[in-house]
Amino acid sequence: MKNYILYCVLVLGLLFGSCTDVIELDLPVASPRLVIEASIDWQKETLGNDQEIKLSLSSPFYDNLSRNPATGAFVKIINNKNKSEVIFEDQNNGSYTTSEFIAIMGQSYSLEVVYGGETYIATETMTPVPEITRVFQSTENGFDKNALELNLVFNDPIDETNFYLSKFQRRGDLLPTLFDINDEFTNGNEINIIYEKINNDTTGEKEFVPGDIVDMSLYGISEQYFNYIRLLIQQSGSLGGPFSTIPAEIKGNCINISKPDNYAFGYFRLAEVNNRVYTFQ
Amino acid sequence: MKVSGIIFLLLSTSLFAQNKFSISGTVNMASSGETLFGASVFIKDSSIGTTSNEYGFYSIEVTEGTFTLVVSYLGFEDFYKEISVESDQNLNIELAESSSQLNEVVLQAEESEDISLSRPQMSVSKLNVATIKQMPAVLGEIDIIKSIQLLPGVTNNGEGSSGFNVRGGSVDQNLVLLDETIIYNTSHLLGFFSIFNADAIKDIKLYKGNIPAQFGGRASSVLDVRQKDGNNKNFALTGGIGSVSSRLAIEGPIVKDRSSFLVAGRGSYAHLFLKLSEDLKDNSAYFYDLNLKTNYEINENNQLFLSGYFGRDVFTLAENFNSSYGNSSGNLRWNHVFNDKIFSNLSLNYSKYDYQLEINAFEFDWISQIDNYNLKYALSYYINNDIELDFGINGINYLFNPGEINPTSETSGINYLLLDQKRAIEGGLYIGAEHRLSSKFSLQYGLRYSSFARLGGQSLTEYENDLPVVYNEILEIYQRGVPSGQTEYKKNDIISQFGFLEPRLAFSYQIGQHSSVKAGYSRVAQYIHLLSNTTSVTPIDVWTPSGPFIEPQLSDQYAVGYFKTFNNNAFSLEVEAYYKNIENRIDYIDGSNLIGNNNIETEILKGEAKAYGLEFLLRKTSGSFTGWLAYTISKSEQRTPGGKAGGPGINKGMWYYTPYDRTHDVSITGTYRLNSKWSLNANLIYQTGRPVTYPTGQYEYEGLSIASYSDRNADRLTAYHRIDISAILTPDKPNKKWKGEWVFGLYNIYDRKNAASISFSQNRETGLNEATRIAIFGIVPSVTYNFKF
Repeated sequence: MKNYILYCVLVLGLLFGSCTDVIELDLPVASPRLVIEASIDWQKETLGNDQEIKLSLSSPFYDNLSRNPATGAFVKIINNKNKSEVIFEDQNNGSYTTSEFIAIMGQSYSLEVVYGGETYIATETMTPVPEITRVFQSTENGFDKNALELNLVFNDPIDETNFYLSKFQRRGDLLPTLFDINDEFTNGNEINIIYEKINNDTTGEKEFVPGDIVDMSLYGISEQYFNYIRLLIQQSGSLGGPFSTIPAEIKGNCINISKPDNYAFGYFRLAEVNNRVYTFQ
Repeated sequence: MKVSGIIFLLLSTSLFAQNKFSISGTVNMASSGETLFGASVFIKDSSIGTTSNEYGFYSIEVTEGTFTLVVSYLGFEDFYKEISVESDQNLNIELAESSSQLNEVVLQAEESEDISLSRPQMSVSKLNVATIKQMPAVLGEIDIIKSIQLLPGVTNNGEGSSGFNVRGGSVDQNLVLLDETIIYNTSHLLGFFSIFNADAIKDIKLYKGNIPAQFGGRASSVLDVRQKDGNNKNFALTGGIGSVSSRLAIEGPIVKDRSSFLVAGRGSYAHLFLKLSEDLKDNSAYFYDLNLKTNYEINENNQLFLSGYFGRDVFTLAENFNSSYGNSSGNLRWNHVFNDKIFSNLSLNYSKYDYQLEINAFEFDWISQIDNYNLKYALSYYINNDIELDFGINGINYLFNPGEINPTSETSGINYLLLDQKRAIEGGLYIGAEHRLSSKFSLQYGLRYSSFARLGGQSLTEYENDLPVVYNEILEIYQRGVPSGQTEYKKNDIISQFGFLEPRLAFSYQIGQHSSVKAGYSRVAQYIHLLSNTTSVTPIDVWTPSGPFIEPQLSDQYAVGYFKTFNNNAFSLEVEAYYKNIENRIDYIDGSNLIGNNNIETEILKGEAKAYGLEFLLRKTSGSFTGWLAYTISKSEQRTPGGKAGGPGINKGMWYYTPYDRTHDVSITGTYRLNSKWSLNANLIYQTGRPVTYPTGQYEYEGLSIASYSDRNADRLTAYHRIDISAILTPDKPNKKWKGEWVFGLYNIYDRKNAASISFSQNRETGLNEATRIAIFGIVPSVTYNFKF
């Protein structure tokens, strides 16, 4: 909600007949870093045995987003209680997979990645998520009273501090939309996440129309990961403008124990997830 | 001790003041009775002279005899009077405006150049509203804040950003006073306009350094804005109709020559333009404000003033989002002349800034506010022609309400929340003197003692190891500390207390008749801070007092300068170098969250800032062409080490540019009077681009391309530059009372797309990364009709 307040001010700032255009800039280039996308997502009502970890290398800002996979790494996850290990197999395309992961709620795990002779480690805890109670469409709940929006509703547990990540993607859209949510102002309440699209000639964004299919996920996440993903969402979806925060390096939880300065981008998260699909009527 | 030293110095010179009489009174405009600040009053063919103070009061001392008293003020006819003095005299002087057209206004209405050369006060700029009205304005609206940015050492974050920056200082380090009340936000419509209605303002004075002892509380500058008192002789109507806003001011006598009033209102109709566009038709954005002033002269020695300001900005987005914010202030003053040598001013001020927001989609509203009462008593003692003593006391009572959230319906998903209200008091006690030691050498010295107490009536969070911010050694990031408890403070408790002695010192040494050198030092403590982690300050940003976790900012500024007039005072040159150091400047950890946060201390680290630079100002103040060239070369940096929290600090503990660092800053402004009907004006502005942080790479995460960044503010936007022109047409109507003028303006004539910001993101259609530039104004034409009746 805080972001929302700032977002509104930002929109106002852009109202004043200001013009935006895309420009070419000579940008500084940093040497590549390892990117660890270790998202262990445990879908409700499954065992969570099948898991994938993606490794890649960072690239110059203007390079095409063709994958820059990191292959030849050794990847494993350790259950910190019983010390059992699961090894992820290198698929030689940046993907490392297993079908033997044992998911335990509230359990702490460690990730170990050996790449280029350096060892990266991270520790996280499997975090639960409440049920999605309702998914429905409306027009009056969003920013634009005439545009369709999707509502994802769940009940926030009382008397505890919770953090969530939600992800929406309309089929056919290139990129997903992420929202970070905490219950600071809504503790114990029914929380409604509204996903609305507004026609925009500049960005090419189109409103929802009947027949649109949207995939959505709600993840339970740790506070540490919330801080990480919030910053990541802020900076990647930033409208820029005079009221945006000064961007900074986003540090995840994967540290390099061989060469600390050469830390990895990305994050080792363990989240319970609730998936839904909705078709607009 | 310093205080006794000053008193001794004063006594030693006043002992010789014998057989002398004083001449005192006020200097006013003949046409309106408006008092004149900074008029020079002197005895012909002598070195005796002074300038009138903020209320037009002057006092000089002469021996028995016959003299010619001369009073001058640029833009007015000189006043001469033969006087024979055998006792103390009261002499009120009325100056007639130069017999000129409405638009022939002398650019720099400042105290006589000779006298300002000999006075130690430096780093100060005084602008008369008539000068400001000459400058080309964006959208045809005259703007005081934009005008001062044409002076050396004053910048802001570009179009559409609030406030201004003085000598590499932040926006919250400026003390902005409107008739002595503190103004917390100087901007309308997010910085497109300033809150000052030029028709209601008499003059402004900006202290960029060497701040006199009477002022305190902000680390970088003082902007002293004075409203007109109102015409006490005739009714007058002033106004303007512009393409974006209109204004109207009415003034006149209540009791002729004794009492007058002024009411000025202004409003924008910019929402009309928003409605023209299909995309924006449901949105509106506008502002309005109101200035009020009245005064009553009880007798020769007592005068009362009452003034007020109320301003509001309103934004509505698709009926879903309503926000409004603004300042309100009021001031009651009593000027009392004890005798021909002692002038006093007692003033009671109230000031408030509030921000309100309503978001219907989430069914809640949000309010935040700061207000203060301020009582001031200031005295000036004109001991003799060589010493003027200023002393006084003031106290401010603050209430900070950083935020309150109210659900607006039963079904709202938002809970009620009231952030801790914070109370504080600030006190000041000062004495300062301007002391002429010889005809060439003058000193200005003073001492201010300021104190601040954060009062109870709230509880404070305690943290493990007393650390609200901790450094995570493993992840190498700063994190919020772990709360370990709460301490409840009762209303009468003092949570924390600070006090500082602030010395102020300056001298001037005159070289020949037309030049002088000056040097100054000042220390200022700042006890309240504006929390802002965005590139530019926003209307939502809240002020917060010093306390257990935030220490007062302390600035030390050193300046030296060379001042010269030439070509019979037609030209003046000012060169100043400054170095400023600010202790306890806070900055925000990566990912800090300031809105609705009850524990701001978990988001900040303490650091320091420094700024230094060289300023040139060459002015031409008479003739058909007037104007100035200003150039500043400067640097402004800050450093925020980890301190108690551990770790290297923000930006690895290295110095980084502040967002208001500008290496080069050039402004040229000029007015050419073609003939009695037409005058032409132009501005040229060039500035080094603002420091920004550019990405050094990208990577894929969650299907998105994420930009990675390195050092804070290590890159720069492209240079900012533009030229504006305007032409003013004053049709001849010699015998009519109605005077009108047309102002035709073109802002940014070569349609330069100056980047207000550049953002980096992934195009959601193509998936490619892009740098998107936001430019606020291209070329903007405007027409305004101003009238005076």
